[in-house]
Amino acid sequence: MDKPVIKGNTITVPSKLDHLADVDLFIEGILRGYGTDESLIADIAISVSELVNNAVSHGNQGESDKIVSVSIEKTNGSVSIAVTDEGGGFNPGEIANPVADENLLKDVGRGIFIVNSLMDTVETKKSDKGTTVVITKSLQ
Amino acid sequence: MKLSDRTQDGIVVLSPSGKIMGGPDASLLNDKLHQCIESDQKKIVVDLAGVEWMNSTGLGILISSYTTLRNNGGELKLANVTDKIHSLLVITKLVSVFEAHDSVDEAVGAFGQG
Ligand SMILES: Nc1ncnc2c1ncn2[C@@H]1O[C@H](COP(=O)(O)OP(=O)(O)O)[C@@H](O)[C@H]1O
Ligand SMILES: [Mg+2]
Repeated sequence: MDKPVIKGNTITVPSKLDHLADVDLFIEGILRGYGTDESLIADIAISVSELVNNAVSHGNQGESDKIVSVSIEKTNGSVSIAVTDEGGGFNPGEIANPVADENLLKDVGRGIFIVNSLMDTVETKKSDKGTTVVITKSLQ
Repeated sequence: MKLSDRTQDGIVVLSPSGKIMGGPDASLLNDKLHQCIESDQKKIVVDLAGVEWMNSTGLGILISSYTTLRNNGGELKLANVTDKIHSLLVITKLVSVFEAHDSVDEAVGAFGQG
């Protein structure tokens, strides 16, 4: 795969950070279509960008022949977004606390913490194909 | 993201705009900051007025430049932190690390006071 492919409410991109902007454009467009408030769109877009960065860098480990797919759906006033990579997954419980004094000045390690703070729920699922992180946020 | 830069009273003022989300856009800011540090321009204001939002990649660039400058006798100050970025700084407790000013002029002026 060498270009983003959109099918319904899913965008699939080659595993490269160059495609962060394509995913963002797609997700923000759909959220705007739902009539979502701009500040909420930014919080969701920030969270999706964290998950796509992780899918490319940690999940697919920079292997650009792999893919990342992002799906969005709305149910009962809440949006749910799933980001899937082809990697072996991770244990969110093992991530060091980025606001601890000894980590405060580190340049990495804040992504999942930010997603947890901005979203209502964050769930990680592993399958034989890869890893999916699902976030949800109430639009009300 | 786009990036413009200028010098005001001997202080480098970097004004990124758009979204800082990682990938090529983030490299632009990171490279510019490190280019300044290498060419001995160690007093830097990052003007965030035009930044719609940033994620942890953006915060990582700011914090690594901040610490590199500190360790080399320089300083990085922020100007025009938007509400969106302010809440991110609060969430990550980085609000206690960065010196932030309400305008570029104020940030530039604050260098004079040591
Ligand atoms: N999709 C993923 N696949 C594998 N590991 C992941 C994934 N997402 C996150 N991780 C792990 O969780 C850690 C923390 O992620 P994050 O909070 O985004 O910080 P950072 O990406 O800056 O390291 C990563 O360093 C990585 O070890
Ligand atoms: Mg990350």
